[in-house]
Amino acid sequence: MSSTEGDRPVVLVADDDDDIRDLVAFRLDRAGYEVLRAGDGQQALDLAKEHVPDLAVLDVMMPKLTGYDVTRELRADAATSRIPVILLTARVQEADVARGFEAGADDYVKKPFSPQELKARVQAVLGRR
Amino acid sequence: MDAVRTAFDVFGIAAVAYFAALNLTYIAFTGLAWRSLMAHLRARRFSGVNEALASPLTPPVSMLLPACNEEACIVEAVHSLLALRYPEHEVVVVNDGSTDGTVARLTEAFDLVPVDKALRDSVDTRAVRGAYVSRREPQLWLIDKENGGKSDALNAGLSAARYPYVCAVDADAILEEDALLRVAKPIIDDPDLVVAAGGIVRIANGCIVDRGQVLDVRLPKSRLATFQVIEYFRAFLVGRVGWSRLKSLLIISGAFGLFRRDAVEAVGGWRTDTVGEDAELVVRMHRHMRERDEEYRIEFVPDPVCWTEAPESMRVLSRQRRRWQRGLAETLWKHRTMFGRPRYGTLGMVALPYFVLFELIGPVIQLASFFVLPVAFVFGMLDVAILVAFAIVAVLLGVLLSVAALALEEFSFRRHLHRVDVVRMLIYAVVENFGFKQLVDFWRLQGLVDVVRRRKGWGDMKRRGFAALTPVETIRLDSGPPPSESVPVVSASESVPVASASGSGRDRAVDEPVQRPSEFLRR
Amino acid sequence: MVQALQLASLALALAATAFVLVLVLRRVMLSREERERQAVEERLRDDALALVDGDDVALPELHRHEAAIFARMLARYSRQLSGEPRENIARYFESGGHIDHQIGLLGSRRLWKRAAAAATLGDMASPAAVPALLDALDDPARDVRAAATRSLALLGAAVAVEPIVEALAARRVQRAVGGWALMQIGAPALTRLRGLLRHDDSAVRATAAELIGLVGEASDSAELIGLLRDPSAEVRAKSAHALGRLGAGQAAAMLRGALGDRIFFVRAAAARALGQLADRPSIPALVHQAQTDRFEAAQAAARALAELSPAGLSTMAALPTGNVHLREAAGRAEIL
Repeated sequence: MSSTEGDRPVVLVADDDDDIRDLVAFRLDRAGYEVLRAGDGQQALDLAKEHVPDLAVLDVMMPKLTGYDVTRELRADAATSRIPVILLTARVQEADVARGFEAGADDYVKKPFSPQELKARVQAVLGRR
Repeated sequence: MDAVRTAFDVFGIAAVAYFAALNLTYIAFTGLAWRSLMAHLRARRFSGVNEALASPLTPPVSMLLPACNEEACIVEAVHSLLALRYPEHEVVVVNDGSTDGTVARLTEAFDLVPVDKALRDSVDTRAVRGAYVSRREPQLWLIDKENGGKSDALNAGLSAARYPYVCAVDADAILEEDALLRVAKPIIDDPDLVVAAGGIVRIANGCIVDRGQVLDVRLPKSRLATFQVIEYFRAFLVGRVGWSRLKSLLIISGAFGLFRRDAVEAVGGWRTDTVGEDAELVVRMHRHMRERDEEYRIEFVPDPVCWTEAPESMRVLSRQRRRWQRGLAETLWKHRTMFGRPRYGTLGMVALPYFVLFELIGPVIQLASFFVLPVAFVFGMLDVAILVAFAIVAVLLGVLLSVAALALEEFSFRRHLHRVDVVRMLIYAVVENFGFKQLVDFWRLQGLVDVVRRRKGWGDMKRRGFAALTPVETIRLDSGPPPSESVPVVSASESVPVASASGSGRDRAVDEPVQRPSEFLRR
Repeated sequence: MVQALQLASLALALAATAFVLVLVLRRVMLSREERERQAVEERLRDDALALVDGDDVALPELHRHEAAIFARMLARYSRQLSGEPRENIARYFESGGHIDHQIGLLGSRRLWKRAAAAATLGDMASPAAVPALLDALDDPARDVRAAATRSLALLGAAVAVEPIVEALAARRVQRAVGGWALMQIGAPALTRLRGLLRHDDSAVRATAAELIGLVGEASDSAELIGLLRDPSAEVRAKSAHALGRLGAGQAAAMLRGALGDRIFFVRAAAARALGQLADRPSIPALVHQAQTDRFEAAQAAARALAELSPAGLSTMAALPTGNVHLREAAGRAEIL
């Protein structure tokens, strides 16, 4: 299954908090994206490898694999290395931001967040590609 | 005959009075613990634990990990300490003269290299041979020193610690990711006031643990361990929460305890001449602060912070309980001046008398009742009906207290026990009255005897019958310098025991030759 | 006597059984409540999400307890959100009278009702609650004060800065909660924090200085530099820390002066700050401090030297005058 199926771009949303998944998915769905949901890092990685989404929005603090780990894994695999990654997290000290970019993320959104703003970032990142 | 009858009557009344007093305090404590726990749970919502994680205001902590011949678990233990969720912390492993591959394993796993390290030397310790830092994990240090026992190792760690707070850990303690955050909560809230904090230490036997996370809480398969779980619920949970509420927490488990470094240094660090060094330190800190009329708090966090293996064999369990009783006795004796003095507040007026009467001497009274009864029966002075009725009341009371404690656990912690386990626990709560409690009391009595005999300086006895002594006493006597020097047959004075059986830690097999350098007799 | 004991046994047996029954029932009830809650949320979720997204949602007639579940769902969402979605939630709560209801609960006699109300008001995201929450900062119970502090921060109430700092200084609110709140309020707190630098109470001055270091920028350092001469050692040390964090290069000269402070922890703080500011002219003074001062101050100076000039540090450490602090810092710098 690849992301070219259907017209809608596919976005993977991974967060262990149900509410955040719902909020993000709702906004992105309304904006015309197809949304895949994952509840932990491992699930996120599996879904990403299987469906190769157009973009991944990852929470950092997730069970099993953190957002950093997932990003690194995606970058390491040729099939998924081009997927842009936006990290979503409450940890925003400089060290954390640097770590995110080092792992290969493209953008960083701080919690608490606005789903509209997140959508705008998604559009911007996808527009760049 | 009349005199004998009177004697029995007196004993009977004393026993009943004791029993009533003991259970009334248990009930009072259970009530106190309920209130405290409920308040704690409700406060969690506004308590800011998650905020503390990201906060630069959270005080940094130095973890101190004393290790002696721990090659089997040391690397994993260090990994889990490094992985703790906490904004800033360092790990100081203190190698206490290990003779196995502890240092080699660490060096390999973490790429340790020798460095110079400035030591405060605020407390005297055995010689430190060197210091190492990890190239891979810059927050990991290894202090290599001569064997001196767990307390000595902790004191060396104190000397090398960088941060204002230290957290003493056991190598075999299983810590969850959030453990440090949880136990540090009181200190994060009131850094000026809180000098020490401890949390609930639960029994890991039978639980499913994955990468430091306890996934499922199950009862152990071992009967002995299950009894200990019941005991833990009934006594530990309720007891410590209660005492903390009364500002008289006497002990913070050596398996995981957080202290303000300067407060520990001010009282001279951990004592090396006692087996109950964890309780002894806490009591000494209380004393120090109260004598100086300084405002302070020593808190117990009613959250599980650490999981340990409970002994599953009678031999190891009996040794543990003997040691605990000895430690308690030594601590209470050392600080006997606080007993009953208003200057020391609830600690001196309530806690110490309670511990002396019910914890120290209690086993004697309880066992005595157990034996006096058949004797009275033989003498025909026993009204069996009363005895039976009384026994039923006693058992039911014990069960009620266990159930109440269980309920407390159910209501408070998010991890629910399986239904099967709850039923099993209820059964054990009844059965423990018919053997287990008595066995524990017997071991505690032995511990008491150990202390008394040692104190009365039965030095001559020791000098002669070395080979005739029981294995436990052999270990205790192995309290001299390491094997490279001549081993005195006895150390009549209370000199620094090299094999300081500490108040926590895993026990080892006893049948080791005397010549081997001591290890920690750990929980 | 036997009868008394038998009665006691009966009573105990009944009590134990009652306990067990309560436990079992509670479990059953909890799981049923949970299932119900999930069902209601499932039904109302789309409406809630639409409301958050800015729609004018026409809600069906809801039972009181369904409305409560809906409200709690929105409140949960609000904790994760910022900006317009949060305002949408606030409007819902304002129009439904929820805010007023919670403000009323702030006057309850029961501690937990007050605390819960104070916490909920933060989640309801409406600035209308701020005055009532400010009053709650004076509540006799610490947990209520903590909840109110947290909520005021979530509402971004800059007007709460002074009371929160004073509460922190007086230890009336936990350090973690108060500190977090001030950092959450962020930049709007700065003007007020700067004002507090002239407060009479040294604890307030110290707290304000510390917070400025955490939320401010280098341009906020002017008054902090002045505080390096404050009569209170705590204030001097906290100001030094803050100046280091802010990267205020203009403070370097005064910080060098602070290396000669009477109190050791001020000297240590000054050394650390100078390291963070990469102030090379302070190197000789730092070397002297590392070689001669007491433990904490010497350590701080050695570490600062490691940041300033690792090569120079190695040289100094190798000299006969080099002491263990210098060697430790040099060793670490080489390795890492």
